[in-house]
Amino acid sequence: MSAGRVGSSSRRVGGVDRVTGRQTYVADVRLDDVLEARLVSLDCARARIVAIDTSEARRVPGVRFVMTAADLPQPVPRFGPQFQDRPVIATGETTYHGEPVAAVAAETKDAAEAAARLVRVEYEELPAVSTLAAALDPAAPLVQDPSLRPGDPLATTNVLREHRYGWGDVDAATADLVVEGSYAFPMITHFAIEPHGFLAAPDGDGIVCWSSIQHPYLLQKMLARILGLPLARVRVIAPDPGGGFGGKQNPKLEPLVAFMALRLGRPVRLILTLDQTFQAVRRTSTEVRVRSGFRRDGTLVFQDIAADYLIGAYADIADRVVSKGSYPACGPYRVPAARIVARAILSNTTPATAFRGFGNPQVNWAVESTLDEGARRLGLDPVEVRLRNLARPGEAFIPGDTPADGDWAEAVRRAAERIGWRAPLPAGHGRGLALGIKSGPTTGLSYSTVRLLADGSVVVYAGTSDMGQGARTVFAQIAADELGAPLEWVTVVMGDTAVVPYDQQTSASRSTVLMGNAVLAACRDVQSQLRSMAARIHEVDPEAIAVEHGVVRLPDREAPILEVLKAGLGRLGGELIGNGESRKEDEPGHPLNGRPAFYELNCTAVEASVDPGTGEVTIHRHVTVSDVGRAINPLQVRMQDEGAAIMGLGHTLMEHVILDETGRIRNLGAIDYRIPTSLDLPGELVSDMVENADGPGPYGAKGMSEGALLCVAPAVAAAVHQAAGVVIHDLPLAPERVWQALQELRAGPPAEAEAAAEPEAVGAGGVR
Amino acid sequence: MTDTLERLDAIEAAAIDAPTDHLSIEVTVNGRRRRLDVAVHHTLLDVLRDDLGLTGTKECCDVGECGACTVLVDGRAMNACLILAVEADGAVVTTVEGLADDGRLSALQAAFLDAGAVQCGFCIPGQLMAARALLDREPDPTVADVHAALAGNLCRCAGYEQITEAVLAAAEAER
Amino acid sequence: MRPFVYARPATVAEAVGLLAIHGSEARLLAGGTDLVIGLRDDSARPRVVVDLKRIPELGPGIRLVGDRLVIGARTVMADIAADPVVRRHWIALAEAADVVGSVQIRNRATLAGNICHGSPAADTAPPLLVYDATVVVAGPDGTRRLAIDDFIVGPHRTALGLGELVTAIELPVPEPPVGAAYTRLTRRHGTDLASVTLCGSVDRAGVTRLAYGSVGPRARLVIDRTGLLADPTADDAAKAPILDAMFAEASPSPRSMRAGPAYRLAMLRVLGARAIRTAIERLGEG
Repeated sequence: MSAGRVGSSSRRVGGVDRVTGRQTYVADVRLDDVLEARLVSLDCARARIVAIDTSEARRVPGVRFVMTAADLPQPVPRFGPQFQDRPVIATGETTYHGEPVAAVAAETKDAAEAAARLVRVEYEELPAVSTLAAALDPAAPLVQDPSLRPGDPLATTNVLREHRYGWGDVDAATADLVVEGSYAFPMITHFAIEPHGFLAAPDGDGIVCWSSIQHPYLLQKMLARILGLPLARVRVIAPDPGGGFGGKQNPKLEPLVAFMALRLGRPVRLILTLDQTFQAVRRTSTEVRVRSGFRRDGTLVFQDIAADYLIGAYADIADRVVSKGSYPACGPYRVPAARIVARAILSNTTPATAFRGFGNPQVNWAVESTLDEGARRLGLDPVEVRLRNLARPGEAFIPGDTPADGDWAEAVRRAAERIGWRAPLPAGHGRGLALGIKSGPTTGLSYSTVRLLADGSVVVYAGTSDMGQGARTVFAQIAADELGAPLEWVTVVMGDTAVVPYDQQTSASRSTVLMGNAVLAACRDVQSQLRSMAARIHEVDPEAIAVEHGVVRLPDREAPILEVLKAGLGRLGGELIGNGESRKEDEPGHPLNGRPAFYELNCTAVEASVDPGTGEVTIHRHVTVSDVGRAINPLQVRMQDEGAAIMGLGHTLMEHVILDETGRIRNLGAIDYRIPTSLDLPGELVSDMVENADGPGPYGAKGMSEGALLCVAPAVAAAVHQAAGVVIHDLPLAPERVWQALQELRAGPPAEAEAAAEPEAVGAGGVR
Repeated sequence: MTDTLERLDAIEAAAIDAPTDHLSIEVTVNGRRRRLDVAVHHTLLDVLRDDLGLTGTKECCDVGECGACTVLVDGRAMNACLILAVEADGAVVTTVEGLADDGRLSALQAAFLDAGAVQCGFCIPGQLMAARALLDREPDPTVADVHAALAGNLCRCAGYEQITEAVLAAAEAER
Repeated sequence: MRPFVYARPATVAEAVGLLAIHGSEARLLAGGTDLVIGLRDDSARPRVVVDLKRIPELGPGIRLVGDRLVIGARTVMADIAADPVVRRHWIALAEAADVVGSVQIRNRATLAGNICHGSPAADTAPPLLVYDATVVVAGPDGTRRLAIDDFIVGPHRTALGLGELVTAIELPVPEPPVGAAYTRLTRRHGTDLASVTLCGSVDRAGVTRLAYGSVGPRARLVIDRTGLLADPTADDAAKAPILDAMFAEASPSPRSMRAGPAYRLAMLRVLGARAIRTAIERLGEG
């Protein structure tokens, strides 16, 4: 594979700046005359704002403005990607711990901090709901005023939406075995290493806004609406995020900073602390009840799934998380009858938003664990049970919807082989295997422009956000391959709505497919122009000419495109400009508004042991296999899959946001919110990919990067069960929780306790 | 003793009056001797980023847990967010901007790129500095050595496997 | 951070003078890994920050002086963990120093700072108790020495009086020689604060010294002289009642986010037994 071509593990484009410190993240943007902003928030989950006294704060030297709701247009504008429920700043009430009530703008950070401390808020703490049980209680206070949801029969409850999916008749189904269980998935926060940051500055009669946002064009649209400006006067510059994972998809504080900048006539910068970032974004947490019916041979008869997702005080994109995440809840299996009821339930907590996996890991935890329990009780091999139920390529496992689009059994076979499923198990070890599926994008629109310059170098415009997944490199490789340019001669321009054509968003692992296809189409447009050029120059019928991979195939010989290009551009020079569009239209009748363009399918298998004294889980081997269609850059695929696997171990073994009884977050910050470090890696991490060029993207690619996170938890829990005999339905499987389960197991009926008694392991059980 | 007390009185009198205590410090940053007037409550991280415009060193947790702000101070890896700039008076500081040699990538930086250790890149300056400190004192590290040396550098993209490979490859290239 | 005045004394006498004048409005700055966090989150609001790092008398240094190890107040954890003399005679202290935070933290955090900050979860407190350390303190009335057990008073409270600061920590060469080990409970393998800290030592006379922390207001030392804990042939069942008695004073907080009380109490026993087993092995290896 020659360097730079599709399928080669080329060096990351944009990598050099990242290793030299020159990469400009949003906090690194330097502007003249910028004012520093600091937020003021209350130390409680919910409060009625009685009065805000900014007089002392305003007297601090260097302070230019202290903004509260009173300084905004009335009624205070509200925004949100699904529901326009979030006010630009807290209005009358704060609804979650950390919701800003005031913002200071000052000449220096010191002045802004000093002033923020002097803002006096008189408030009355109100009862808050921060758990599913509390939110669903008929006597619960309402998180959102019913006036925000006019005409909605659910507006007098904290249930934002209820979604029902299914087919067949679950109640009429007869099964040899019914397994039932309830599973909890905790609150997790994204903890991208880059905290959120926002800048805004007046720009002529418009505005320019810098944000580490994954959806620059969505932000542009929202700002235009809120500020009453035409799109063409709203410029969003989106530096590469220092990690997004979904937490930076949707606008949060950009409108606030924009209002301040316009009011003051100067640039305003707001960089959040890590603690404030934790208060700003999280994953939806869930309680999922599953009833699965099996025949004696392990095949599924029905799935009955009730998933309650606890979302935050504002919907953000969380209801879409609920619907999209629960829709394929049955998994990649043949299920004759299914009923899925999924609810988005409001609470006075951090607004839950998109997070890698998008609602799927939460139901996957419940459904895959139930599958394992079914296999155990039937005395069947869990891998066999997966294979027996697995949808075959082309099978419409969700009736009427995109059929199974890969050889998923191959992923299972490879994972089982690489984990050594049939090999003898060392004493005290256990193995688990699980499957995860996620729907790719259901609708979408991406434009790309590609310019072939006079010397054969290339500029690609693509509005995708490269937050580490390597989109820039993928597009550069496609253009390099199609137009025969060395990778170093391809420049990719991203992150500026004034310059780069429209891209709907960066999410759902969509960009290799949707934007990739747009880039490919733009390249093909250029190739078509080259063909016309060659036809003109050589006086040949264009039908007799082919242009591909940097070569022009004339009837009598092959010519490099540079030769044709130079001759064709002539004395005036110039360039060729190609445009490409990739569009997936809405399907209004579809529950998700469109069928998925592809599925992400992953099989994860782990081997683990449990320290019977402390409950500590050690992962000895972790295998992850994803079905990717075609790896444009195999190294990047591996990086994404291994990264997702380790992130999955985070919520499986150690992560959870801890709230107190009033709904305040107790473990804000890096000291008490634990994510995996280099010392927390599996003993061996193995990633593999299935490539059958069966995806809708360039060269048969599918999207990837979320799959390897989806089913880590049930795979580990199954291994823990085999190793230690405990069944746990709550995450994380922190040492204390596992130890608790071991205690309960040992205290159980005498026969069980004897079977569970293990000799104490020697040594503290490290990962290696 | 009387001298000392007089000096203390003088410090006292001068210091308490000033709303923000400033000190002139001299620090060598990436080989260049700099004389700076810094507020005493500003951290080394603040001064590197805001006063010197060296934004390669990143700010994240501010409590010395994440390692994004790792720099070398007198050859040792430290979190710049927990060092007051005044404490660095007279010190030799190296940041990520000081790794490349006359614009050419060092073997360590090249190894990170070749191994695919760089994803979003935000933790990478810190990882590079922690790796530099390791290789400076241990030119032939084991995998365990690398994991231990970089345990204070969080990567949420979780590129730990590739980062480890990169450090080992750099060690070999440098030997 | 709120502004403060920064003082950089050149001698212990100057530092003592500053502390005597400013009392509780002054805070000492050595490694800064606790203080700077406190300055940022407003839990520390001093008028004066006194930087000790320009005082030559305070080290850093690790020196064997006769039958004592003298560790200067400015000595950082990384150097203690790596020092061959410390590792030879006081391995549990090296082990504890080696897990205080990350490499970056250990290059700054001082042993003196760790005990002065006085967190009940301080990793170095149990080994210092087991090894019978002495804290050397300078103050307006001169120098005095306190046993570590007297120096540690409660959570974030030491026996330091007005104007006093720690100048060194001394450890006697263990006589008779001991085998010792440090262990702790954390939430992940990666760097973490401890939910239980434990240090155990055994000697040929059969004396077992066990110090534990993070399960009450301060780390505690308990001693078993029956010889049973130190006996390599005695089984866990026989040792359990003695361990139980030794942990009787443990009172873990019910409000802790890091670990629940029942788990901590159970882990004291599990990890305590393991630490003693390792100590016995090390004693056997000489």
